[in-house]
Parts: sequence; C-alpha cells; structure tokens
Amino acid sequence: MPQIKKKGKAGAAKNYITRTQAVKKLQLSLPDFRKLCIWKGIYPREPRDKRKVTKSLKASTTFYYTKDIQYLLHEPLLAKFREQKVLEKKISKALGRGDVSDAARFESRANDPEKTGKPRYTLDHVVRERYPTFVDALRDLDDCLSMLFLFASLPSTSAVPAKMIARCERLCLEFQHYLIVSHSLRKSFLSIKGIYYQANIQGEDILWLVPYKFNQRIVGDIDFRIMGTFVEFYMTMLGFINYRLFTSVGLKYPPKFDQLKDEQGAELGAFALEGVNIATDSSATKAITNGESDRIDPGTQAAVDKIVKQLKENEITDEEPAKTEASEDAEEAEQDTDAIDKFEPVAAGGDILPQPSYSSSDPAKLFSNFTVFLSRETPRQPLEFILRAFGCKRIGWDAVLGEGAFTHDESDPSITHQIVDRPVIQAAMEVDGDGEDNQTAHKVGINGRYPGRIYVQPQWVWDSVNDEELKSPEMYAPGASLPPHLSPFVKSTQGAYDPTLPLEAQETEAEALDALIEDADKGSDEENGMDIASDEDDEDEEKDGFGGFSEGEEEQDDGEEEEGSEDEEASAVLQRQIELEAEISGKQVKSKQVDPKLKAKLEQRKQLEKKAREEAEDLERAKGMLSKKKRKLFEQMQYTNKKKSTEDLKLREKRRKLEKEKNKA
Amino acid sequence: MPVLKAPSGNPNGPAQYKQSSRKGKKAWRKNVDVTDVEKGLDELNDEIILHGEKIGEKASEDLFAIDVKGDSNITKKLPKALTKKLKADEIIAARSAVPAVSLRKRPGDKTTDGVLPVKRQRTQYVTQKELVRLRKVADGQHETTVTVTDATYDVWDAPDPQKEVTEKLPFLPKVDKAKVPNTLRQQPISLSANGKPVPAVPKPSGGYSYNPEFNDYRDRLEEVSNQVVEEEKKRLAELEAERLRQIAAAKSAAEAEAAEARKDLSEWEEESAWEGIESGGEELVAGAISKKKKERKTQAQRNKIKRRKEAERLAKHEAAMKKKRQQLEKISELAEEVYQKEKAMEVAKIEMSDDSEGDDEVLRRRQLGKFRLPEKDLEIVLPDELEESLRRLKPEGNLLKDRFRNMLVRGKLESRRKIPFKKQAKGKITEKWSYKDFVLD
Repeated sequence: MPQIKKKGKAGAAKNYITRTQAVKKLQLSLPDFRKLCIWKGIYPREPRDKRKVTKSLKASTTFYYTKDIQYLLHEPLLAKFREQKVLEKKISKALGRGDVSDAARFESRANDPEKTGKPRYTLDHVVRERYPTFVDALRDLDDCLSMLFLFASLPSTSAVPAKMIARCERLCLEFQHYLIVSHSLRKSFLSIKGIYYQANIQGEDILWLVPYKFNQRIVGDIDFRIMGTFVEFYMTMLGFINYRLFTSVGLKYPPKFDQLKDEQGAELGAFALEGVNIATDSSATKAITNGESDRIDPGTQAAVDKIVKQLKENEITDEEPAKTEASEDAEEAEQDTDAIDKFEPVAAGGDILPQPSYSSSDPAKLFSNFTVFLSRETPRQPLEFILRAFGCKRIGWDAVLGEGAFTHDESDPSITHQIVDRPVIQAAMEVDGDGEDNQTAHKVGINGRYPGRIYVQPQWVWDSVNDEELKSPEMYAPGASLPPHLSPFVKSTQGAYDPTLPLEAQETEAEALDALIEDADKGSDEENGMDIASDEDDEDEEKDGFGGFSEGEEEQDDGEEEEGSEDEEASAVLQRQIELEAEISGKQVKSKQVDPKLKAKLEQRKQLEKKAREEAEDLERAKGMLSKKKRKLFEQMQYTNKKKSTEDLKLREKRRKLEKEKNKA
Repeated sequence: MPVLKAPSGNPNGPAQYKQSSRKGKKAWRKNVDVTDVEKGLDELNDEIILHGEKIGEKASEDLFAIDVKGDSNITKKLPKALTKKLKADEIIAARSAVPAVSLRKRPGDKTTDGVLPVKRQRTQYVTQKELVRLRKVADGQHETTVTVTDATYDVWDAPDPQKEVTEKLPFLPKVDKAKVPNTLRQQPISLSANGKPVPAVPKPSGGYSYNPEFNDYRDRLEEVSNQVVEEEKKRLAELEAERLRQIAAAKSAAEAEAAEARKDLSEWEEESAWEGIESGGEELVAGAISKKKKERKTQAQRNKIKRRKEAERLAKHEAAMKKKRQQLEKISELAEEVYQKEKAMEVAKIEMSDDSEGDDEVLRRRQLGKFRLPEKDLEIVLPDELEESLRRLKPEGNLLKDRFRNMLVRGKLESRRKIPFKKQAKGKITEKWSYKDFVLD
C-alpha cells in the first residue's frame, strides 16, 4: 500500500505562503517587508486553488512563493532591517521613560557611520543580483527612466525630500549626456501626457516618458512610500548604468558638476565631461555641452579634436580583435553598432524583414551645421537635449531660460535657425506676405525677425528627428498651420495605408495598373465621348472581379454616372448583360476600341489576375493538408487580413482621387 | 451664598473602622472618630467662605439691622417666579467672600545661603522638533536609510569577493551561497485581461499626439467617449436598480404591515368568538376541516380523471412537436447564427493573440490585494481645447498616478491605497450626569 499523503504537506500548501505568514517568518514589519520585496523583485503570486493553501482565507489574501521567502532569509539587508527594529525599540523605550536625551543619542549614533563604524546600507549587491548582465539592466530601463525623470520634476514635499529630487535630476542629466555623446537617441514624440523618447543602447530599444515642466499635481491616492522605495532602487541602478555607459565611451564618471551653474539653471551645461584616456593631457575637458569652445579658444578646440581622433583610433583598434574573437564583451558590441547586418530574406519572395534603423543616415550629423536659437516661449530642456543628441553644437537661448547657452544674444549673426512658438502679429504678416519671406526680409523689428535665418516652430525639430531627415521649414514656419505630429512608435504593417509615404511606395502592382487603365479609359472616353456609362461600367466590373469595392458603393457610382438618354441607358444594360455572361463562361470581355498601350496594360493585368488565381488555388490545395483546427485558424486570419486590406484599399483610392484632382488643378 | 453638598449619602471618604472598645493603651489613639470635629471645621470653613469671617467674631451691627420702616421697594419688585435665576447660573455666579490669593510673583527671601547658583549647561537638550522626529522614528516612520552615492565601479564587471577569498586563502572552508530559486525569475502576474505582460511604458498611438492627425484623433475620441458613455450607463443602471430595490422593500414592508394589521384584527375576532359572538368565518373553517376526510372516488370519477390527464399529455406533446417543427424550418438560420458566432469568437481570439502586449485598460476580474485598482485618467484633449501650438498645449493625465497604476497592473505589488488616518475605535458621546450628584442647600 502506498504511503498515505497527509493534507498540507505537499503541493500548493507547501509552495505558497501568505503575506502574514511571510512577515512572521522574516520577523519584519509589514512596511519593511514590502520594501524588501520591491528591492529584491519578489512579486505576489496566485495559486491555482487558494483554498488548498490556507484555511483562513479572504478574497484579498496575498500569496508568495515559499521558496522566494525562504531565499529572502539569506538577504543581508534583513539583518539591517532587524537592527533598525532594535533601534526603534530602544528609542521608544527611552522615550517612554522620559529619557529624551538618551533616545536622541541612540538615534544619532546609529545613523552616524563614522562613530559606529557600521555603514548604512546600499543596494549595490541587489542591482547585481537582479540584473546578472548589463543587458538585463538595460531591458528594465524603461520603468527606471520614466520614474526618475518624473521624480526629478516633482516639487519637494515631506514625502519626496528635496535631496532625492536633486539626485534624480542629476542622474537623469548624466544619462542625457551619455545619449548626447553617443548619439543614441532615436525618436521622440510630443504627446499630451509628456514627451516620449526612444534611444537605442547596445541594440536595446529604450522608451521613456518625460513630463512637461511644472505640470505635476500630487494627488491623494498615491502611496509615496512605495514610490520612494522604487526610486531608491532605481537611483542606485541608474548610477551603475551611467558608470558603465560613461566608461564605455571613454568618459570619466561621475562628470564634474558645477553647483553654481546648476543653481543658475544651466541643467545640462552644469556638467563637464572628462575623458579617461591616459594618452591625452589630463586637463583637457571635453566640453560637449558648450559649443563655445568652437568659437572662443582654438587651443581647446585642438585638444578636443585630438581626443576625438584618439577615440576614433581606439574604436578602430577595438574593432579589429572583435572580428577575430566572439564579441562577448558588451562594450565592444556597443562600438560595433555602426555596422549592423542587414537582414535579407533567405528565399526570394519571402517576408520583408524589418531593417535596423539608422544604417544609412547618421544621427550625429542631422543638425550638426546649425546654430540654433531658442525663443523665450519654447521648452528649452527637451529642445536642447534633442538638438544636442542629433549633433547640434551651438544652441543659444534667451537669458530667461537659464544659464549655459552658446549665446543669450538673439541678434548673433552666426544663428542659422530660430525656434519660435509665438503667434504672428497680423500687421507684420501683411508686410511679410506669405511668411515665406522671413528669410529674405531685410529689416529687423517686424515680428522681431532677423534676416538670414530660418524661423520654425518646435515641431520641426521633432518631425525632422523622427523622419531622420530635415523637414522643409516652410511647412513649419511661424503662423503656418502645422502638419499633424504623428507617433513614430506606431509600426506600420505590411500593406497597410500609411499617410506619410507617397502613394507609389505603398500601392500594389495590381492597383497601380488599375489606376493606369482607368486613366487611359478616361482619355479614350474624352475622345469618343459617347459611351461614358458603358466604359464606366466596364471598369467597375473589372474592379469587382479583383475584389475591390463593395457592391453598394458601386451601385451608387452607377447611379451617379448614368445620366445619359434612355437608349444610352438601355445600351448600358445590354453591355452589362453581355459582360456578366462572359464572366460566367470565363471569357474576357472584348472592349470595343482600345489603343495598343491600353491593350498591353490589360494584358499585364490579366496575367496578374491569373497569377493571383493560381496562387489562390495553391493556397487552397495547401489548406487541404492542414488539420481542421489549423485550417479554421488560417481562414480566420485570411478573413481579418482581407477586411483590413479592403479598408486600406479604400483609403488609397481616396488619396489617389485627391491627388488627381490636385494635379488637374 | 449656598455651598454645594451631595444630595444623599456621605460626601466624605470611606469611614474609619469603628472601634467601640478602647481597652489597652495602644487602642486609645486608634480609630478615633473625628467626624464631629471635621463637621465643625467644615461649618466654620463655610461660614468663612460665605461671610468673610466667623459669624461669632462678627460685630452685631454687621449681622443685624433694626428695620424702622418697611422697605418701600418691596412692592416694585417683580414676583419671584420671574426673577428666579437658573440654578446653574447661581452656582456659577457664586463667589467666595474670602479674597483670592494674588497670582503675582512675590519677591523671594532676601537672605541666601551664600552659594551662587551655577547656570545649568543644557548640553543634552533635545528640541521639540527633534523629539517629534524621534517619536516618529520609534513608530517605524524613519527616513530612508539607503545611501545612494555616485557609482565608483562597474557592478557587472566587479570581481566576486567570494572567489577572491578562496584564491588567496584556499585552506578556508567554502561558504555555500544560498541558491537563487527558479521562482524568483518568474515574471509577475499581469493584470491585463489577456494575461500578457504590460510594458512599462506603452507605445503611444497617434491619438496621443499634441497635434494629432484627424483620423487618429477621431478614433481615440470615439474610443474614449464610448468608454465614458458606457460607464455613465452603468452608473445609471445601478441607480435604477437601487431605486427599484427600495420600492420593492417599501412595498414588502407595507405588505408585512398590512398582514400584521389583519392578524391583529383576526385575533380580536377570535376573542369575540370566545365571548360567545359567533361569526360566519367559524362555520367555514369547521367545514374545511370536515372536508379533509376524503371520500372514495367512484369508477366514473377515476375514468374522468384518466381522460383529462391523457388529454393534457397529448396537448403538451403536440405543443412540443410544433415547436420542434418550427425550429426545423428555421434550421438553416440557426446554423448560420451559430457559425457566425463561432467565427466572431475565433476572430476575437486571433485579434487578441495578435497584439503582443497586454492592455492596461481592460483588466482581468480578479486582482491582487484588498483594493480595486485606481481608474485610469481620461487622457484626451477635448476637441475645443485642441491647439496646434506646443505653447498652448494643456497636458492631460497625471504621470504620477499613471506610473503607480502601471506598477500595480504589471503585478509588481498588490494594490494599495493611501490611508490618511489610522482607523480609530468608534466612540460614543454622552452627557455627563455628575451634576446630579450635588444639591444646593
């Protein structure tokens, strides 16, 4: 007889543990337990059958894996928490006795590592443990960055101490410096919530959200203790990530931080990056944030050039061994990103594979030749960051926007672009004409314009960055109605309608041919003029054959088109009848008069149709091989695809019509 | 002036043990009853309070006056009923005839002991603010104890300290490190309806743009407005249900009352029956009882019942058959319906499996923890507020809330809500009755 199994000794009862049990086991207070769980990445779990785990059960009972909790018992932080608890007890005892000075002494000694020799704890080992490799940490960077950028923009309260905010801000600025130096920012999006940024670091896409300035309301139902716990961990984590990133591009970490400049609102400009290369003279700071060096001191410029040259040399020398040995080192992988393989389909006619972006255009050169001036009303921080990240060296702004500008003088002759977001004064518009003249206008004062520079609205920067090319500034001139700001994160699927692409790039072969035939038909119609209705019908029929339009719309078209005399109508009906019969019998309709060009097109079209039919037959045959379940699934997929594609078709059709009208006009 | 006295009982403390026997020297002084002395002293005290000094020591002129002619004012005085003050006012207004001791600081003794007082050094002094903080610390609400310093080394490249030790001192026994359980690497439970992990920062669609394309914006506006309308409908339905419930409750209460009233009435009737007034109802009841005794059915009756039952059965069968026939006629329609349903379901399934990310708006029913997740803010700029200029953009949504909710949706922790006050025991406020313990004499 097999051994009788006792209840509660195996299975769910053994694998799971309730929160109360866990807290008791670890001898912690609930807030401390929560903290530890957040830091160590221990999440609540859900047993399949809750009743099997514990007898006393509420709907809200939270469970954890027993193994996780067991593992927590080895955590060195646990000892720190317990020490803290002992201290709390001591203090409360002393306070209870009225020995206030004793209580104060206990507290101060425990928190003074110099006196006790016991350091307060750090979360370094937790970072290492949760993210065994650097890439793991990068994958979790989305949350980290969003959180820290958010906290950096909060007002300080009792729940969010000013120290924490300052720290967050500093870490974020350091990270931005890395992005600027490595030119790894890819996309940015102005949304109603905040500004999204996407960077690519070592092949990992990182997306984060930065709030607009001065916008954060603190609402009641947020637990700041919890948020603070996350932020504490993320601050440690981003510190290490920054260290690694800075050293990977040959910079010293932490960068020199100028307190005075920071207080004057220099933000990015408060940091001075230094190289760690021994070969360079150690005093030369790489003044990335201040393009002034270009202009002011040729000596520093030379030094900077030297560093850049050396860095490039290093890169080359690094790359050579990378070819021979497997690139295990992430650092090398980082430097190798310049040469990304192109994905090509193995067989001809395979799926078009998504290509790694930025293989062609260099993000470092997008704005590199410009000197940009930001007007008072523009958001300086995001603009400065994006412009710098895409190669702009010289950015000036109004003195109101803070320290650290290339110039505060709006009339500086070296400025090539000015970003404005002010409404255009009407009188000035009349003088200026179309607003296009602002580049050629030769007097200053009307709308405060300076000749010889391009005035654009802020969206120009974002759209240029997202499209990886400079957009034409006329569309973004002040006072002009802006084109819509599209999200760069919406992935366009194969064959779907994309308003940004030209029509030729996205229409199918058959569609293009259809359009040409239609055009040709129109031409011929104009020639003989008599049988408009019949020809129109002809077209419709063909479209229908190819699976284009819905029946109802067609009829509507017919209704619009048929306005000829009675016998014309009768002839049309007759024609239609003939066509229908021909279709049933599988023969092609003979058009009455066709020129050879049109004929060739029709031939081509027929071939395409044939090909499509053959493919469909092949598919049908292949479908027969599938199991019933898979076949159904496949059919459903086809159904949805068709639904989507007809929608896209309609959209393209509409656009074609619009374009044609535009061309005519 | 009256002096307060307890209305009954002994206002003094518990009486001393009464000792009647005074035998022996020791017993002479023990438990001596001094109540009459105390009483005398109390009286004396009362006199002093009321009159300023002992009555016996007062001069006769102060105590008595010879009334030569009657008081002329006495007729002008209002009747006592009108001038009577409240007892409480009287008690409060009462003042002792003995003047109060002045609270002013009086000069101390002029003589000293010759030793100059040393000014106390308050090195151990703790400020009130500090004390408040200490109390908080004792209560477990200490500030962060984590020190975040600038990173000075690469964590991912740092050498293992354990390994170093074993290399340097190979003779030391190896310390077994706790093995990381596999369960720790498992992803947290996503709260999205399709169970897929929710990204930390969902990719924004075009509808979120500050200057959106028309189609994107329309889609998003439609989506949001549908959602809001749906919510409002739900709320109204709930209100309606509540109203109906209340009506039903009121109705049933009224019915119960009516039944009660009827019962009362019948009781009264029964009573009257006891008194000898027979009502018509009595007979009926008696008849019902007698009817319970069943009579034997005749064969004819049995046959009749049998026939009726058969007819009923047939009718039922025919109805069923008719229904079946009707369904048979509609069979193609039904089949089509079922097929469409299945198709729709499968399409939904595919569409669900199609997008690889979890949705943080449509959540699953069962959540973690005691509280429901906070609702997401409506993140949309209304059409009339939609501006083309970045300068005039009114940002929507709350990122703090968004971040917090995102943590919860990703299952990183159970849902929580800030509890601004600790729940305290419910108290009941009543008036004190102790004023009844005293009477004025």
